[in-house]
Amino acid sequence: MSADLSRLLNAIGLLAIGTVLALAFVDQIWFRELPCPLCILQRAGFFAAGFGIALNLIFGPKPSHYGVAIVGAVAGGAISMRQVLLHIVPGSGSYGDPVFGLHLYTWAFIAAALIVVGCAIMLLDDRQFSRAEPMSVRLKALPLSVLLLFLVLAIANVFSTIALCGGGLCPESPKDYMLFHTAPT
Amino acid sequence: MMSLPFVLFACALGAAWLRQRSVAMGFWLVGLVTMLVLFRVHVTEVLSIQL
Repeated sequence: MSADLSRLLNAIGLLAIGTVLALAFVDQIWFRELPCPLCILQRAGFFAAGFGIALNLIFGPKPSHYGVAIVGAVAGGAISMRQVLLHIVPGSGSYGDPVFGLHLYTWAFIAAALIVVGCAIMLLDDRQFSRAEPMSVRLKALPLSVLLLFLVLAIANVFSTIALCGGGLCPESPKDYMLFHTAPT
Repeated sequence: MMSLPFVLFACALGAAWLRQRSVAMGFWLVGLVTMLVLFRVHVTEVLSIQL
């Protein structure tokens, strides 16, 4: 696999992570399902994992970048698994509405597992690490636009989380944006 | 407080964009640790499993 093909696959992977994060925003804004603290941390886990893939796009593919992505995905996946376990007993409730039969935290765990598997498969081919090749013109537009999307989503999450939780910790089950509604004294 | 991981990951991306790899990795590491500390804070609910 050439470095260019590796970058293309990494760009597609980062686009997939960006799509997941964008859909989380759609769920929050369009369907008014406010994210719980663990849900917010799962989003952060996707950023931790996506950062490794972003490094591959900026500096070229390296095993350490895949390592960053795997560590981030494992951390995010552990948070998802914790939330799955909270609701695993029948009758113990759930958080949010299911999408295609599964709750968002279950989808988040599946996505984290897919990132780990995807990185492991990418690591199987050593040829992408053999030499630093300049990024071809054909690939420039996609990685750059995906990187920009990822950065915009990170900044949007900063503002969203401040609006939801203010400057402190988030309530376990948020009902409204704390920044706009102060609690009665 | 909960927005801190996103701030740090955004800084990491910005540093990477400016080709400052070591700085970017530093931001990422601090962001990851912050995320795990916040996870520890929010992980207090007891699992409803009767063994």
